[in-house]
Amino acid sequence: MDLTQVIGRATGLAGGAGAALLQRLQHVRLPGVGQASATDDPERAARRWRAVTVLRDPADVDPAAGLPTPLAALGDRIEVRVTPAPGDRGTELAARYRHTPGPEEIGDLRAALREAKALLEVGEVLRVDPQPHGRRAATPQGAALEGAAKAAPREGVL
Amino acid sequence: MRAVTWQGVNEVGVETVPDPTILNDRDVVLKVTRTTTCGSDLHLIGGYIPAMRTGDVIGHEFMGEVVEVGAEVRDRRVGDRVVVNSFIACGTCWYCRQELYSLCDNGNPNPGITEGLWGQSPGGCFGYSHAVGGFAGSHAEYVRVPYADVGTFVVPEEVSDDRALFASDAVSTGWMGADLAGTKPGDTVAVWGAGGVGQMAARAAMLLGAEQVVVIDRLPERLAQVRRHVGAEVVDYSTTDVMAELRERTGGRGPDVCIEAVGMEAHSPGVHGVYDQVKQQLRLQTDRPSAVREAILACRKGGSVFVLGVFAGPVDKFPLGAAMNKGLTLRGAQVHGQRYTPRILEHMARGELTTEHLATHVMPLEDAARGYELFKSKEDGCVRAVFLP
Repeated sequence: MDLTQVIGRATGLAGGAGAALLQRLQHVRLPGVGQASATDDPERAARRWRAVTVLRDPADVDPAAGLPTPLAALGDRIEVRVTPAPGDRGTELAARYRHTPGPEEIGDLRAALREAKALLEVGEVLRVDPQPHGRRAATPQGAALEGAAKAAPREGVL
Repeated sequence: MRAVTWQGVNEVGVETVPDPTILNDRDVVLKVTRTTTCGSDLHLIGGYIPAMRTGDVIGHEFMGEVVEVGAEVRDRRVGDRVVVNSFIACGTCWYCRQELYSLCDNGNPNPGITEGLWGQSPGGCFGYSHAVGGFAGSHAEYVRVPYADVGTFVVPEEVSDDRALFASDAVSTGWMGADLAGTKPGDTVAVWGAGGVGQMAARAAMLLGAEQVVVIDRLPERLAQVRRHVGAEVVDYSTTDVMAELRERTGGRGPDVCIEAVGMEAHSPGVHGVYDQVKQQLRLQTDRPSAVREAILACRKGGSVFVLGVFAGPVDKFPLGAAMNKGLTLRGAQVHGQRYTPRILEHMARGELTTEHLATHVMPLEDAARGYELFKSKEDGCVRAVFLP
């Protein structure tokens, strides 16, 4: 393996490491970052309802009238709950899998909920790629950041 | 097109990058006519916000001419001369409807990064790292502006480019601090930091009716600008006991409103400054909060402290006991510019808000590296470097 291959391999691993780091970020237990309470066991965490609040009337979010495309794409694997939000905040749109999902499926659901909210509130999902940029140095740190940014729509506390 | 890019810690350069395109129907593409350095850029350049990728186009305070319009843009036309807010907001979510635009739910496509750090994600921002969206910045010949009907404002004919530019961020940020801190007629307002944002916070406080406004800094040329262009009083913290001075000026009460406009790289004389520098360099704290500490300790009982400077993470020796026992209201925010820009442009048109003096160094975009050097070192009296693409 020559130096270029070594750097390429390290860069590839770093991209995955960036995504993995982001996945763990919400479970960090340092003072001032993350949480101080107990962490759910993985089974319970995976089964939780995940919810966004949408500034639309409940009638506009009625699953009987058809789910937004990103959620509909998950089909019968998920159940959906719609409730009025208090204080004129719109509608709480929650979903969870009918089975215990893995991390990839949870990422799918987070992204679908965020996109559904954007479609209901704005009518489109904000895109960021492709963005103009200059020369990207092929470094492990850069690859780690790119991995984290790529994973970011599917991660977070949702 | 040519653009200013982040090329590593303390490395900025100009290179050729692809032109931006319309990606969403609510986008416009702008030909940038003025774009300025902001103190918060220095945190990115210095590596204090570790979400920058080499080649990222920086810059978030700007204006220009609309050259391309998306299919769903209703209120902007090709040829409009507009100033643009630095935070990207949809205008339709609950936060936008509360006029808390920098908290927009739909402006940051990378929410996972900041949710993990802070529990919730703020909106997106031009040229300010992948943590707030990874959007290309404004230090370029062209820039794509999402949600253009919400975040762009047509500049009145009587307002020059040199004045309107700073409505984008410096004035709107300063105005927000004075307003959301609850400045009322008769108040004494103290502002830490005499950069562009601090000066504009002071001016906004005066326009909101404050009886006495005092700006605190150490740089003589900036304090001179405050006296001459803003009309506020000044205190040089390198030669004056700030707490004693503020007590004396307020009948022993302390200021009603304290606005911090310094941020995570605050300078401080004596042991405080050394302590924060060492802890930050050892990565035992991410930010140097000396101005926030002083603002809390100086504020009158029951008063209000607003943090305008950018901070990223945990800080040390935060005087929470003072804040609690003195009954203070402590607030902070990235700029809700869309809330304030219309009235700011009106004040500018009437000549009540002037900003031209902030642009101490105007230069071609190709000279951006030199501009940032001057801005960071504050050499030659640099308050803001403005680039002309």
